[in-house]
Amino acid sequence: MEENAYKSELMTEASPKKPLLEAVGDFFKKDLVQYIVKRVLMFIPTLLLISVLVFFVIQLPPGDYVSAHIAALASEGEFVDADYAAQLRADYGLDLPVYEQYFKWVKDIIWTPTDSTYYRLYGSHHNWKYSFAYGRDVWDVVNDRLGLTILVTAIIMIFQYAVSLPIAVYASTHQYSVGDYISSIIGFLGAAIPNFILAIVLMYLSYKWTGNANVGLFSQEMLQNGVHLYNFGEFLKRMIIPIIVIGTSGTCGIIRSVRAQMLDEVAQQYTLTARAKGVPERTIVMKYCFRAAINPTVSGLGGVLSSLFSGSTVTAMVLNMQIQGPVLFKALQAQDMYLAGAIVMVQAVLVVVGILLSDIVLAFLDPRIRYSGGGR
Amino acid sequence: MKKKLIALLLAGTMVLSLAACGDSDDTQNNNPSDSVEDSQQPSGSDETPGDTTPADVATEGFSEAPMLADLVTAGSLPAVTDRLPVESDVFVDTTDAAGDPLEIGTYGGVINLPGAGGSWGLSRQVMESIIRYNIDGTYYPNVIKDYAHNDDYTVWTFYLREGMKWSDGEDFDADDITFWYYMCHLTNYDTKKSWACLKDGEETWANLEKVDAYTVTWTFTNPKFPADFIENGDFKWCWAPEHYLSDLIPDSIYVENPYWEKTGLDDETVLLNAQAKGIDAATVSDLGKAVAYYWWNEDGIPTLNSYVLTTKEGNNSRDAQLCILERNPYFWKVDAQGQQLPYCDEIHYNSTSEDGQDQLMLRSGEIDILGVAMQDIASILSDLGDQVQLRTFSSTNWGAYQITFNYTCKDANYAELFANSKFRQAISICVDREQVSGLLTEGFLEPGQCAPSEGNFGYDAEWEKKWTEYDVNGAKALLEECGLVMGSDGFYDFADGSDFVLTIYTYTDSGADAAYPVLEQYYNAVGIKCATKDIEVSAFDQEIDNNDWYAVLGPHTSIGGLSMKSRVQPFVPIAQSAEWYGDYGTYYGTNGEQGVEPTGDMAKLVEIYEKWNSTPDSAERDQYNLDIYNIHKENLWTIAYLKAEGEYILVNSKIHNYPEVLVSDDLYQYANIVHYWTLFKTE
Repeated sequence: MEENAYKSELMTEASPKKPLLEAVGDFFKKDLVQYIVKRVLMFIPTLLLISVLVFFVIQLPPGDYVSAHIAALASEGEFVDADYAAQLRADYGLDLPVYEQYFKWVKDIIWTPTDSTYYRLYGSHHNWKYSFAYGRDVWDVVNDRLGLTILVTAIIMIFQYAVSLPIAVYASTHQYSVGDYISSIIGFLGAAIPNFILAIVLMYLSYKWTGNANVGLFSQEMLQNGVHLYNFGEFLKRMIIPIIVIGTSGTCGIIRSVRAQMLDEVAQQYTLTARAKGVPERTIVMKYCFRAAINPTVSGLGGVLSSLFSGSTVTAMVLNMQIQGPVLFKALQAQDMYLAGAIVMVQAVLVVVGILLSDIVLAFLDPRIRYSGGGR
Repeated sequence: MKKKLIALLLAGTMVLSLAACGDSDDTQNNNPSDSVEDSQQPSGSDETPGDTTPADVATEGFSEAPMLADLVTAGSLPAVTDRLPVESDVFVDTTDAAGDPLEIGTYGGVINLPGAGGSWGLSRQVMESIIRYNIDGTYYPNVIKDYAHNDDYTVWTFYLREGMKWSDGEDFDADDITFWYYMCHLTNYDTKKSWACLKDGEETWANLEKVDAYTVTWTFTNPKFPADFIENGDFKWCWAPEHYLSDLIPDSIYVENPYWEKTGLDDETVLLNAQAKGIDAATVSDLGKAVAYYWWNEDGIPTLNSYVLTTKEGNNSRDAQLCILERNPYFWKVDAQGQQLPYCDEIHYNSTSEDGQDQLMLRSGEIDILGVAMQDIASILSDLGDQVQLRTFSSTNWGAYQITFNYTCKDANYAELFANSKFRQAISICVDREQVSGLLTEGFLEPGQCAPSEGNFGYDAEWEKKWTEYDVNGAKALLEECGLVMGSDGFYDFADGSDFVLTIYTYTDSGADAAYPVLEQYYNAVGIKCATKDIEVSAFDQEIDNNDWYAVLGPHTSIGGLSMKSRVQPFVPIAQSAEWYGDYGTYYGTNGEQGVEPTGDMAKLVEIYEKWNSTPDSAERDQYNLDIYNIHKENLWTIAYLKAEGEYILVNSKIHNYPEVLVSDDLYQYANIVHYWTLFKTE
């Protein structure tokens, strides 16, 4: 029933077109506002539950930051005794019961009063606490790499979608052609080779061919003087390996799923009908089939915000990219619970928000989702 | 081929090590402390290796790096003579730590290193300490011009270099020492506990007095011998820049003292002051550690080191991808021609997240000096040829692939078994070391025992070979002599019929995860049933604290080392948290309140240590040290299967003055013994 309604909507192409802005406005006037409010209210218990999980899971490994810190010092030749360890735990509040630590953590994140030392020091009502490993305010550590993480991840994502969607459309409309086979082979290789191996191989080849391994996104000169117009070319050159490594693996997934969806849609009755009615092939493919085929891809966008925030941890480490992922890794290794907790919490918030946004976009793309909401 | 090449390199290194470290008795005579034993006179420059007066300098006057000369010309920096101490107090550096003469260098360039690593990373290459050691264990005054003590070792005098300056140009004098001692150290602001080397009795501390601007005295009620004071590894510095830190000391930590009054600052004001200086700290406790203990990690804090952390945003943190140390324009050392050191303009720490990346950067010339695993040396050398030189830090470790047992194990059956030396002998001889060497190190490490390496103090060929002959039947016989009974399953049980399972801990980064499956085969073959528990290293510390473990592979708190001069804990059970003495150490570490009181040879170690600690005579101390070694040799509380591995460093051939042979030890502050301020780079 719903499917028929959807198809009939698609087939009312002959009816006058609604301008896009009007369509969007119409869309938001409906029950969607109520839907969004409900979802936002659901954020509160969801995030509280996540915060409990995050805090307790991070504390699950035996030991704490102090024991990890003492072990690290011992490896550098500095030995400390049990009294010192006990005093450190008292200083950091690690000697309190875990539930007390949790409540204090959450309370300070939600609201730190104006008359607190923290507010006077940092001018913020949200105290994410102190990173033991970095010796700095947690939010400062997170902020340090936020811009670069967003930039790098955004460039890679744009590359992924810009490359994969046209290839997928081409491959589905030219099934079993040479181009389809080539794109499939490249895609499969990209997905099958682990990112970290591909990264190492490419860096080694870069060293062999150019004498420069291109380790990291920035040259020494850029790390001292920053990225400017005159050295932007060098920066882009250093982006080639990350784009190939991260881009190809992500690209393959999108190509395969969109291609498969497209092949399904191209074979649907409504496509045949449209073709029989003389609708131009380009309109059939791009306006109807493609719109339906990218649903799974759009629903996967929920994780994009979180990815933008943290980036790809393992690949970032292999490529020595100074983005958020390796910070989380270091925080977990050092049992720096406030830093790890903050990053994971922000990721969780972004996943929740991202899912909401993807649902809204999906509802806009696919009327059936609105019908199932019972609004129409 | 690769194996042969490395074997040759190792052999060559060993010969050089022997030549450099062989006769410690002779070199002890150069010890400045010996020269002042009977007088209150300074040790004098004649006995001070590497420290000559400017009168010996070949050229007249001092010169400086072009970049500094430009600043002088521009009027933004005083002339070099005004930046150095008075002429007679300038330190003239003429030899490296092995005593070889230094090449006269040229200015400029950058030394590129891999990332700085942990809390001490940025200090290793540049730290200037009170005294400095040569690789043969002799030492000489470094930051201080000289030192002396009275006849009964109750008064020690430090003479400072007149006109010496902090890296920001302020005078360095006696006030900086009294400030450090009374405002930072005795207050426990810098660390949680004042250093034992300054202790004078149970709960009292040395009395520090300022005699004049360049002289201070440390007075003790009991004799304070060199080993427990100036030679103590903790006592690296005793100064802090009063002019910079005075607004970072809160009243809450103040302790009454004769020199400094309260600052009138509360905790929050101090944190705000620190923030204004770019130092982030959540509590005054964190702040104290940052500014008065790990001070090299904070930009802006004046130092006496050869290089200082840049204040340039983005490069001023050890966590930065590129962390930069810049030359200290007020550095107080010159070369034999009067050129102010250091030679190179900057040291760059290039942080990478994977081992392979820094090797790639070495290959592409982005890193100049890199430590590499022995297995990687041949391939890198074959790629880079004479673009790099191999340097070796000989190891002071007592063997590799070690197993240690818990002698204070809660389970009486196990405690009794582990205490039996026949059991340890069985564990040692049941393993074919040649095969282990092949399987675990591709034959790089030779079979050996837990004993001092050749060329090190206390080396004993017999000890190195003790219980190393592979003998399965002999091992079985020994196990039966220990009272174990062969069970029907082919594994030994305790005499009371209970199962004997040797639970062996391995932990992260110890290399034991690879060693365990190999060793397990040998243990099983003689009838010892094994289990393993892979654990994170900090968690293992807790198991030791709780005395809740049986055996461990690959110790992180080592047994052995350079000698007792370096650290005592690796030889004597006087602290907590080392596996080879377990709860015996806790007993001494808590003054008998917790732990297990040692008996027998374990107690004898402490008795001899107390004698060692109460004599200033270095020959007598060496003898006590050897007596302690003999007890270790007798008992072999830790079994090692292979000889210790050295550290292998590949150095860009453009770098000069990097010594041929070095020793890696905490006493020498590891890489500090390279003397980075004397390195220079040519194209």
